[in-house]
Amino acid sequence: MTSPLVLLGGTAAVILGLGLLFWPRLGLLARLRGARDYARRVRTEDTLKHLFSLEIDGRRPTLQSVAGALGASPDAVAGLMTELADSGLVDLAQGRISLSPRGRDYAIRVVRAHRLWERHLAERTGYAEVDWHRIAEREEHRLTPEAADALAQSLGNPAYDPHGDPIPTASGELAITGGLSLSSLGPGDRARIVHMEDEPAVIYSQLVAEGLHPGMVLNVLETDGDRTRFWAGGEEHVLAPLLSNHVTVAVLQPEADLPEPGIPLTQLAQGQGATIVGLSPGIRGAERRRLLDLGFLPGTRLFAELRSPSGDPTAYIVRDTLIALRADQARHIRVQP
Amino acid sequence: MPAQNPITLDPQTVQGNGNGSTDAPALGPACAACPAHHAANLKRLGVDMADWDYVVALAGNPNTGKSTVFNALTGLRQHTGNWPGKTVARAEGGYEYGGARYKLVDLPGTYSLLSTSLDEEVARDFLLFGRPDVTVVVVDATRLERNLNLVLQVLEITDRVVVCLNLMDEARRHGIVVDDRRLARDLGVLVVPTAARQREGLPELLQAMQEVATGQVHLRPNRVHGEPPALKQALQQLVTRLEAAYPQLPNARWVALRLLDGDERIIQALKQGELGSLTRQAVLA
Amino acid sequence: MSSPAIPMPGSIGRSPDPDVAPPAAVEDILATAQALRWEVGQEFHERLVEAMYTEAARLGDRAVTRPGTEPRFDLDRSIDRVVTSRRWGFPIMILLLALVFWLTIAGANVPSAMLANLLLDQAHPALKGLAAGIGMPSWLSGFLFDGVYLATAWVIAVMLPPMAIFFPLFTLLEDFGYLPRVAFNMDKLFQRAGAHGKQALTMTMGWGCNAAGVVATRIIDSPRERLIAIITNNFSLCNGRWPTQILIASLFIGPLAGTSWLAGAISAAAVVVVALLGVLLMFAVSYLLSRTVLRGEVSSFSLELPPYRPPRILQTLYTSLIDRTLIVLWRAVVFAAPAGALIWLFANIHVGGDSLAGHLVNLLNPFGLLLGLNGVILAAYLFAIPANEIVVPTVLMLTVLTSGLVGQGVGAGVMFDADAAGVLTILKGGGWTLLTGVNLMLFSLIHNPCSTTIYTIWKETKSVKWTTVASLLPVAMGFGVTFVVAQVWRLVAGG
Repeated sequence: MTSPLVLLGGTAAVILGLGLLFWPRLGLLARLRGARDYARRVRTEDTLKHLFSLEIDGRRPTLQSVAGALGASPDAVAGLMTELADSGLVDLAQGRISLSPRGRDYAIRVVRAHRLWERHLAERTGYAEVDWHRIAEREEHRLTPEAADALAQSLGNPAYDPHGDPIPTASGELAITGGLSLSSLGPGDRARIVHMEDEPAVIYSQLVAEGLHPGMVLNVLETDGDRTRFWAGGEEHVLAPLLSNHVTVAVLQPEADLPEPGIPLTQLAQGQGATIVGLSPGIRGAERRRLLDLGFLPGTRLFAELRSPSGDPTAYIVRDTLIALRADQARHIRVQP
Repeated sequence: MPAQNPITLDPQTVQGNGNGSTDAPALGPACAACPAHHAANLKRLGVDMADWDYVVALAGNPNTGKSTVFNALTGLRQHTGNWPGKTVARAEGGYEYGGARYKLVDLPGTYSLLSTSLDEEVARDFLLFGRPDVTVVVVDATRLERNLNLVLQVLEITDRVVVCLNLMDEARRHGIVVDDRRLARDLGVLVVPTAARQREGLPELLQAMQEVATGQVHLRPNRVHGEPPALKQALQQLVTRLEAAYPQLPNARWVALRLLDGDERIIQALKQGELGSLTRQAVLA
Repeated sequence: MSSPAIPMPGSIGRSPDPDVAPPAAVEDILATAQALRWEVGQEFHERLVEAMYTEAARLGDRAVTRPGTEPRFDLDRSIDRVVTSRRWGFPIMILLLALVFWLTIAGANVPSAMLANLLLDQAHPALKGLAAGIGMPSWLSGFLFDGVYLATAWVIAVMLPPMAIFFPLFTLLEDFGYLPRVAFNMDKLFQRAGAHGKQALTMTMGWGCNAAGVVATRIIDSPRERLIAIITNNFSLCNGRWPTQILIASLFIGPLAGTSWLAGAISAAAVVVVALLGVLLMFAVSYLLSRTVLRGEVSSFSLELPPYRPPRILQTLYTSLIDRTLIVLWRAVVFAAPAGALIWLFANIHVGGDSLAGHLVNLLNPFGLLLGLNGVILAAYLFAIPANEIVVPTVLMLTVLTSGLVGQGVGAGVMFDADAAGVLTILKGGGWTLLTGVNLMLFSLIHNPCSTTIYTIWKETKSVKWTTVASLLPVAMGFGVTFVVAQVWRLVAGG
């Protein structure tokens, strides 16, 4: 026998179930649709970004290159291209794939979001350098143009991302940097790193592990077959072409007045004095500003005064004050004993 | 925040306080002896000026004996708390000198005002928006170079500065001689040598603070820096525009520097018209 | 973007000014600044700081005359060479710390006993007597004097004397300039755990009082390391928990030794082991936090080793009394008074033949036993969230109340203390074993911070998220640890 109570309960359950399924924004269907839309947006944006980066390099995109960049089959990419052409983001005239003006704007917006986010991670957070790109890849799709503007403002409208790439302005202007690949330099060449490609991550993390950063000045010692041996940041490095191809440099005039590289502060013996020649670009954000405020500036005399009984940190006399720095920080300060 | 106008509580302040265009626009000719502080902003910064004539900010690097100076000036008339909405400790106290009541606010000890640490933000906002009648910068006579860095930064924001050359006793012990008159000439502000622990030089410090607070001395701080030519040009462009828009702005150069550095707080202040409240009436110059 | 009407948080003086520039001029200035920023380049900030320091150095040079030859002998450096030397650095540190603790314990004993005698043994009966004299209803006098007054008095008697000694001593060392050297010596250990060397100081401060330790984390100016120090400060066994440790150790661990002098040493060692376990947990949790949830927080290290200066004794006494001792004490009292009221009410309101406290104890008992504890202990820790000082008296009162021991205690809802033998009788009567004792010591170390500390954490972080983490993480860990110990114990001992 069906009691009214059971009937009532049943109805309530059905309504609840329907609500869970169809509720706008929070219901299951809406969420599924949201996830699908998001995945589609990610695919679209990644495609536009890929087309844009090839365009900058002056190369022509193909279905295969897009498929490779997205990790999808050429067939799926063909479908996607038709979709993008229909929405006016991509031109498919004469069997060539190119960005439409709208598509280019869109791509620049995504690049802006990505680079701003990397800058944010570098300046405002403690995430390790190798994590930046991965996190920015995720966040670039979530940042609305308005949020990107707010982020830019809060970062002081930065002009460059931490890899040395220019950040497009809100109006979509992008300073295009030229430069050579490190592998193309010859012995005796002197150059400044302007960019380190952060994709693929495996290669980038090796470059970071080498201690290389945009802004670093390097002197090529030898090119032996394909390997490049060079001096940078007070150390010698040897890079295989696989790695050196991912480093873009600007060649400097040999007579350019540049400070001597010096040695890392960590190599200073206790009781020894030295003059600071520079701070490596690898120390950023709050930490860099703090060092500057404490008076660790080029030309400053300092003494390695005390070493902690546990080996680290070391206290230096800088401008009459005893300041302790960890080896982690000191290795970014280059000095001339 | 209460929209109430604190100035009405203190007729004395209203009378001469020509600065507070926010609160008391179009007042008669301001006098040199009148307070220059911004009472409304001070209230928002947690300082009620109802019972005080002048407000003095105490700035300085950490470990310069700043709190000794503070204690020597206020005695037990002090209390400690936090800055409004911040977890930064602050001490404030008061004293009377020459028939006027001075409120003394101890700013957090910082090496600089350029970075973005909470301490530095608090100190800077107080100098910028509270516009204290006098800012005493306590410096360590034995480590002058490091300390002058902060003095120069304070001078960019306000010219009502007294430099308290503290720890003279330690300097003497180390055989360091500081030519305070030369320093005063170079900086363009009053410099008073003290040894606060021995209460040495405090009468002179009080006197100097009074002179600055009441406008008896005209300070022309040295603001010449050897910045690179490219910087100088950019700076000049911006300063010209700022001065055209805000003819009364006392620290256009500093604001320009902050804008070039992309300082979010200053950009915000500009957008929201807060910068207007930084201007001063010509008389106070 | 001209939206001057939108109030931004923290904005000051946004009321329209007569001398405010027209929006167009503002736009122009901002656009110019933005354009110039591309021109002045990335290194602008650096060049600016450099220019400042160069000017400062120039002015300094003009004004300062230094003695011809820099004297290489310098008292500060000589002290530093000793206190940070490989041979003497750590022994001196441990010696000074031990001295501070010894002075605190030795010095606090007498005033603590006097306060207890005055507030608990004299004033409490006097107040009760007075209440009876003026014909106050017994429920009211019970509520006020057995509940509110007694809990507050208890907290003051236990807390005030050690804090009034510990904090000034600590401040004197700070004033002298020694404490930054401790951070310098210890930094490497903390660095490995993703923390700041100054956490050694806040941790030590936590041994006095966690709330004070949390406030002290302000000396750590790097956001990530400061959060770590705040969240892990609770693993410093605080003033309110030492007495519990000492009592339980001497009742349950000491007797294992047999001879009486050895018993004292063993129980002291047990307490030290628990405190060291706290240090170990502090490092472990710091390590995990810095590598997981706090990975993205900003981190920057800097540590100035200031010149040594003779400490100002009177000034120190005054400020440390006002700033640390009294404020912390005041907050503790604010929280303890309602707790006392609650305990009394729970013990005296009867529902269905048993007091509310009885129901609560019965409800918690199965879970307590699973953890090698019991319902009374868990209930006491619920009541003692405001102040850990009242754990032991509450445990005793609840044990007497729920196990129906005759001839013990002074009444429902009235906290009391007894001599060691008396306490042991009561606890044994409540079914306590060695496992209960050990796990109580563990749980006393690893449980949620007291409400004063929680409130302080919230005030310092202004973050519900981190306050929640700091509050719930340790109690979850405490449940885990006591559960595992209990199960292993029962497996091995067959209990």
